[in-house]
Amino acid sequence: MNTLVLGLGNPILTDDGVGIHVVRAVAARCLPGSGLAFAEASVGGLRLLDLLAGYGRVILVDAIQTRGGRPGDVYRLSLDQLPASLHSSSTHDLSLPAALALGRRLGMDLPADEDVILLAVEVGDVLSFGETCTPAVTKAIPLAVEAALTELRT
Amino acid sequence: MQKISIDPITRLEGHGKIDIFLDEEGNVANAYLLIPELRGFEKFAEGRPVEEMARITPRICGVCPEAHHVASAKAADAVYHVEVPPAGKKLRELLYSAFYVADHTVHFYILAAPDFVLGPDAPPAERNILGLIHKVGVDVGKTVIESRGKAMDIVGLLGGKTIHPVGALPGGVSKAIDEEERARIEAWGHDLVDFGLFSLQLFHDVVLGNQAYLDLILSDAYTTPMYYMGMVDENNRVNFYDGRVRVVDPQGNEFVKYSPEEYLDVVAEHVEPWTYLKFPYLKGVGWKGFVTGMDSGVYQATPLSRLNAADGMDTSRAQEAYEEFYSTLGGKPVHGTLAIHWARLIELLYAAERLVELAADPEITDPYVRNVPTATPTEGVGIVEAPRGTLTHHFITDERGIVQKCNLIVGTTNNYAPISISIKKAAEAFIREGQVLTEGMLNRVEMAFRAYDPCFGCATHTLPGQMPLVVQVRDADGRVVQVLRQNMR
Repeated sequence: MNTLVLGLGNPILTDDGVGIHVVRAVAARCLPGSGLAFAEASVGGLRLLDLLAGYGRVILVDAIQTRGGRPGDVYRLSLDQLPASLHSSSTHDLSLPAALALGRRLGMDLPADEDVILLAVEVGDVLSFGETCTPAVTKAIPLAVEAALTELRT
Repeated sequence: MQKISIDPITRLEGHGKIDIFLDEEGNVANAYLLIPELRGFEKFAEGRPVEEMARITPRICGVCPEAHHVASAKAADAVYHVEVPPAGKKLRELLYSAFYVADHTVHFYILAAPDFVLGPDAPPAERNILGLIHKVGVDVGKTVIESRGKAMDIVGLLGGKTIHPVGALPGGVSKAIDEEERARIEAWGHDLVDFGLFSLQLFHDVVLGNQAYLDLILSDAYTTPMYYMGMVDENNRVNFYDGRVRVVDPQGNEFVKYSPEEYLDVVAEHVEPWTYLKFPYLKGVGWKGFVTGMDSGVYQATPLSRLNAADGMDTSRAQEAYEEFYSTLGGKPVHGTLAIHWARLIELLYAAERLVELAADPEITDPYVRNVPTATPTEGVGIVEAPRGTLTHHFITDERGIVQKCNLIVGTTNNYAPISISIKKAAEAFIREGQVLTEGMLNRVEMAFRAYDPCFGCATHTLPGQMPLVVQVRDADGRVVQVLRQNMR
């Protein structure tokens, strides 16, 4: 089954880029092989659908902010657990679950909901411009990398 | 004073927050839109080579990277005092036209159409693209996705990447196109013109064919006469890529027309202590507060304002649509906020027709697409029309082209005051003393906001009907007497 590991986020918005940093690190740990692809994107909704088409399994890595969360925590979420959030829902676009539902309705070749996994890192600062993450989030990158590799091995 | 808040679940999510203040009678006294702005871009830009900015600024906003890409490229042209060869200009405008088709398509079908096709009182769970497809059929959905896909393929072909284009450089573009690519783009362009006509027809059938919607568009609740801004070519026709910026007054007469390097003589920014984002206004009229009209410097920068500020569209079918627009709505200028949606579709059609024109131009396959700069860089301003409004990029560099100072006025910033005013107007009409607040009322206020297709640098993101909202009505003593929740646990 073709698998895509996709890092989401804005690499110039400090912690918002964590997903991209994680996926780059995961790619460095993997041998180039059949059926495994890596990508990074700073978009959501419909534009994301363009990237997901054709894959049987997708692992997304992204930043998240939750009530009471501590920067540096790493979560494994399925699609139905996705809250409405800063970047997965947009005034110009669709949320990820809605985009997938739409794509399937229109006959696009997309992974099933249960084959889309989100690894999310709790972040602190997503409003300041900067190219590196804050210390607590930087410390979480190796943990998120291990979580992704674990997913890939199953 | 009582306060109603349209407030997201947590300020950490960075949403805009709408506060509506009621007076003692329970009528709306004021409405404010508070923005937690992304901080420090101007600082972040300092020390970077100016030619990098066309690859950095697209990341301010993942929605309209093409607009930032091209604005930064034009600013860098100005910094380096270099002229772009004709084929380079045409290729940039070709990419830009394709981007416009895609962007306006997404806004209309995902965001606006559900309100009109399903109705503003339909339950939020249905008032989205899936509900739209359920009502008008899967084929419409397929057409939308395919058309958008073709437009994005054109952007990718010309810009190097669909998501964040990299093709524009100071002095031109990095890639010319051959005949095979040109023919492909032209063929897709014709499909996109058909799609533009289809979309306008849909709007006619569903919106204009329904007197209730027409009344809504013309209603006082959504009407705010103000100054209107848009870029025009030398014949005062709408142009998204290049030209001068024209502003007309609420009666439609030209107030000012300026070149990019003159923008600081025309536009100033007003600061309020309760929000990070500043409020641009026309210096020549002055800041008179959150009011609109001949004596207030508040101006709008939207598809509607672009049509108001111009004398027409440069392509034939769009020009027909433009004439019908004004004759239906009672002449120029049109002040109805919801008319922005119609204007957006006219622009979609124009962008598709312009795309075909450029693709059919024999010069578009000329391999000479860039002049390498030779002059010493100093300072430059680049302006384009982003879908959401006039976009201004201004860079000052040292003699090596390293950015020393940077100022950006992004599309929605222009509309910050108008949005607040439109929200207040809608709130006044729909939220009245003694009335129990309903989701439909909240949605009508949201519709005022949404028509501007606002983009506060990624700070405010929600779908129609899915915006996490809490509205708290407080009595004169500050006690919460009513709470309305939407999409919040």
